Amino acid sequence: MIWETIKMAVHSLKSNKLRTLLSMLGIIIGVGAVIAVISIGAGSQQEVTSSIAEMGSNLINIRPGTSRGRFGRFSKAAQNVFTMELAEAIVDYCPSVIRIAPRNETSGHFVFAGNNYLATLTGTTTDFLVINKYRPEHGKFFNNYDLTHANNVIVLGSDLAKELFAGLDPVGRKITFLYNQHSLVFNIIGVMEEKERGISGDLNGSAYIPITTYLQVISNSRYINSFLAQAASSEVAGAAVEEIKYLLTKYVKDGEEFNLFSQDQLLQTITEISGTMTLMLSGIAAISLLVGGIGIMNIMLVSVTERTREVGIRKALGAKKKHILTQFLIEALTMSCTGGILGIIFGEICAYVTALLGNWPFVISPLSILLAFSFSLTVGVFFGIYPAVKAAKLDPVIALSYE
Amino acid sequence: MLQVEELSKVYVSGKIKVQALKGVSFAVTKGEFVAIMGPSGSGKSTLLHLLGCFDHPTSGRYKLNGINVAGLNDDQLAEIRNKYIGFVFQQFNLLSRATILQNVEIPLIYAGINKKRRLEIAREMLEKVGLEHRLDHLPTEISGGQRQRVAIARALAINPSLILADEPTGNLDSQTSAEIMDLFHELNNQGQTIILVTHEEDIARHAKRRIYLVDGEIRYDEVTPS
Repeated sequence: MIWETIKMAVHSLKSNKLRTLLSMLGIIIGVGAVIAVISIGAGSQQEVTSSIAEMGSNLINIRPGTSRGRFGRFSKAAQNVFTMELAEAIVDYCPSVIRIAPRNETSGHFVFAGNNYLATLTGTTTDFLVINKYRPEHGKFFNNYDLTHANNVIVLGSDLAKELFAGLDPVGRKITFLYNQHSLVFNIIGVMEEKERGISGDLNGSAYIPITTYLQVISNSRYINSFLAQAASSEVAGAAVEEIKYLLTKYVKDGEEFNLFSQDQLLQTITEISGTMTLMLSGIAAISLLVGGIGIMNIMLVSVTERTREVGIRKALGAKKKHILTQFLIEALTMSCTGGILGIIFGEICAYVTALLGNWPFVISPLSILLAFSFSLTVGVFFGIYPAVKAAKLDPVIALSYE
Repeated sequence: MLQVEELSKVYVSGKIKVQALKGVSFAVTKGEFVAIMGPSGSGKSTLLHLLGCFDHPTSGRYKLNGINVAGLNDDQLAEIRNKYIGFVFQQFNLLSRATILQNVEIPLIYAGINKKRRLEIAREMLEKVGLEHRLDHLPTEISGGQRQRVAIARALAINPSLILADEPTGNLDSQTSAEIMDLFHELNNQGQTIILVTHEEDIARHAKRRIYLVDGEIRYDEVTPS
């Protein structure tokens, strides 16, 4: 019986193609918009996420806390424990952390052949390269031998090499660093590649020396300003943060005196923001689904009036209320579901084209397809039920004499 | 087969009450061919609606095949119409977007008969009325007389106890009318019970019995004089 009714509905819709198409248009556009927004949202989010992951979604910045606000001095208690021994302890006792690099920085003037350039001098270890996926473009980076011997070697960031050595090959030359009225000379052994900004900030405007050299000749102390730790994977980044926090409380005794900031947190924030945006846009798009539903109801009401006589004939021949009700309801459902399917196809095509233009991955979300389809089904039932009830209630005598 | 006792119908529209039928009683036995006649406003349409199980009487009893129809609800009446009554209307009342074959199938769909059997029956009935070569035509593509034949085939499809025909020749020319009436004759000769509502003397003459209504009452109920 249901199958017969569906065939009747399709037959009736087919015999009025233009009208059927026009009344489905609202649903097509509504579903299409929702699908496109969700798919585009998911695709662009994946793009942002993967570019952050490329920077290293498993990176964690560890610094001593500051007293008296953001620009206050580093907390003394924390600073005392921020040494290379702490770095070793973190790698030893935090199973989720695979490597850690110290990072001490100071700014000063680099001088070569009478030109000077204000930039940052960074003291670190070889792990800094691995963690930042950072490579020398020319020459080489310092090695463990340089680290243990606190050698006077320096590797230039790409900006520095460009500004001071325009055209010349810096490798093998000497550079002078002016700092606090001290003057230090380093042997240039390499030039780094150009690198986009990441969690470690701008790497191009810096020059790199072994941390041991830094502690000896620049700070003349054992203290490290900050560490950059790498978790085994982005999945365990959260666990790594917790492990480091736990370890640090053992040393510092006061959780407030250090700061941990992970790329993972940034990722979460971005995911939340883009999720909210997608939800909001889908909400707006869903309104057009509602409008589409009203369009279907309108057409169904017209159709019931037009086919009053048909209802009369069917009733005279033995159709019960439920037969007429299902017939009209299924017509509305056929329209809304066909509209839904066309809308899904239309929406995915839009998302595909946008993904091509925006150069991000094209993502089909099965959940959103399911959601959009069930929504159009609901719209069909909700807006189809009233006209169908109206048709089912028609008095056969009156319906048969309707002109 | 069909008993009507003291059947009355009062229509209420606003404060005005119209008594369309005032206690009508008669019985029809199987195989009869009855014409219900009367001028317009005599209550013959009201009687037809009651006999056709379209409407509930205000009072009185109506038994069809032993079933007391007066107490049934709308869906039960639909079932009675589907099982026992074949309708032939003045306006033919075919579905214009369905083919002739599909039109004849409709009552069988509501009777819950499967597709294969439906097509068999529909073909057989259309053959019976001489339209076996027009199965896939739309009602708009055939003549009025042929349309009425389709309607008769549709009425016969469910093997009805009773055929109720409401002015079946009202929209046909005299030549076609005669052919349709011949068809009714033939069906009656095969044992089909037929009740025909008409105001035309010429048509009523084909029936074997005439019930004449005036002002909602039976004026006379007699065997048609030959």
